[in-house]
Amino acid sequence: MAAVLEPYIYEGGIHQHTLITELLEDLGGYLIQKVPAATEVTLVMLIPRDDVHLIEELGKKLLGKLERAPLTGTEIAVVSPTLASHHLPHSACDVAEFMRRGGANTNMLGLARGMGRRVSLSDNYERKLINEHDLAVFSFGTFADCIKNKKPKLLEGVTVPKIVAGGPLDVKTEEVAGADLYVGGIGRVAHRLRKPGELSSLDNLLEKVVEIVEKMREDLAKDPLAVLPPRVMKEIHEQIPEIFDVFSPAPVTLQLDGLRVKLPYDEFHERVENLEFDEGVRLSDMASITKSRMKNYILVKIKRESEVGFTA
Amino acid sequence: MEPLETFVVESTIPEEGDAYKSIVADIITELVLGGAIGRIKVRVRPEDSLFMMAIILRGTQPTVKVSDMGSVDVTNHLTKEVTISIEQEKYLPQLLEQLWAKYGRAGVRQPERKTLILTAENLDEEVEFLRNLVVADPQKTLQSRLVEMAIRATPEGFRVRYHSMDNHVFVFAATEDILKKEWIQEAQDIATELQEDE
Repeated sequence: MAAVLEPYIYEGGIHQHTLITELLEDLGGYLIQKVPAATEVTLVMLIPRDDVHLIEELGKKLLGKLERAPLTGTEIAVVSPTLASHHLPHSACDVAEFMRRGGANTNMLGLARGMGRRVSLSDNYERKLINEHDLAVFSFGTFADCIKNKKPKLLEGVTVPKIVAGGPLDVKTEEVAGADLYVGGIGRVAHRLRKPGELSSLDNLLEKVVEIVEKMREDLAKDPLAVLPPRVMKEIHEQIPEIFDVFSPAPVTLQLDGLRVKLPYDEFHERVENLEFDEGVRLSDMASITKSRMKNYILVKIKRESEVGFTA
Repeated sequence: MEPLETFVVESTIPEEGDAYKSIVADIITELVLGGAIGRIKVRVRPEDSLFMMAIILRGTQPTVKVSDMGSVDVTNHLTKEVTISIEQEKYLPQLLEQLWAKYGRAGVRQPERKTLILTAENLDEEVEFLRNLVVADPQKTLQSRLVEMAIRATPEGFRVRYHSMDNHVFVFAATEDILKKEWIQEAQDIATELQEDE
């Protein structure tokens, strides 16, 4: 049985930060993402629960900060009705930023025809793309009437948990058909969210999203995945070195039940399918590997233990 | 009329009107329209997919001449030099553009940021011409900024629009369905109401 892994974000100086990554490797943890920015570095990692204090102590010595990031290893779609200045960048991008602070990888998605009330539509391709994520946060507007009566049709066909963010505070989740959660106080604005009330709404949203993700993790634990996504990521790093030539900030993006490998499908899918594990199994035995609807990437969805019959 | 002496945003649910007011206020700030608008009233009825706006402008803004932004003097009668000393830099790029077009780049010397030196044959005539040269016309850009504001303030998707600009009264209505006559009338009535406030 593998150790229980806890998600953390480390923020500190770039000087000697490799000590942390080395220790993490020794402990059997996983480095999920490393974002260097001038003299600072942000490390997103999974640490074995019993050894968190070791990293924390070392981090303190290096004058860095270690914080729990409960959304680590999730990929969240932040959906805005259109790409027009009415809906972007404000509020939707702030929502995405708060999700990233929680450790998630986010993708912004602007629908092609999501504007308006009667005329708003979502496309089959868009719905499928949203369904590739762990969950979707929809950023809606100011008017309760639109959120209750008109916009829910954009949620139809989306099978992942759907969280709706909107302006009015008195709308209840049940009133938004199809939504798993409604969070108010984050409506359309034309400025960056930085007032105390706005920021606390975003904190509230993050808190609620974390609750949903925790619940999804619990459900997953009942019938666990055949292999942990971070372990697959590690094998990709070792067996497909071309991944280091990818310029995307997260060349391998973890999801709760899979991962997105940002390599061209046609060229690399066979190598991903044939990833070998120490137990003598291949990735294709434990996961379905398909072409992602995002660019030409590879989408890996790991099967459950009950389906495969073993765990690696 | 004071700038923004009336600024009302009405909606079916009053709190939503307040939230929308902050959007409109942000847009007014972004487009620097605060000084130009005297009164503004917006009415939004989401259940009808209707957005209406009436604006009363604060009189016409005068054109900006060179004499408004600095002084023009003859500084050297022998070499026939005219010097423009700039006090307000805001419209300097527009002024330079016009001068370059007339005298050529080499003909306009700018020894430092706020001083322009030209040479001319007929000094008095040239000075008089320069003083009255129109550099910018805020009124011209105002109208395009007003339209831009209306489009930004309307909920995205309300693409059936009506607008009218009559002197200093701007009336705007937008919906996603067929625009009814009574809605346009209602928007006009809001404008009339605003004018009567005096």
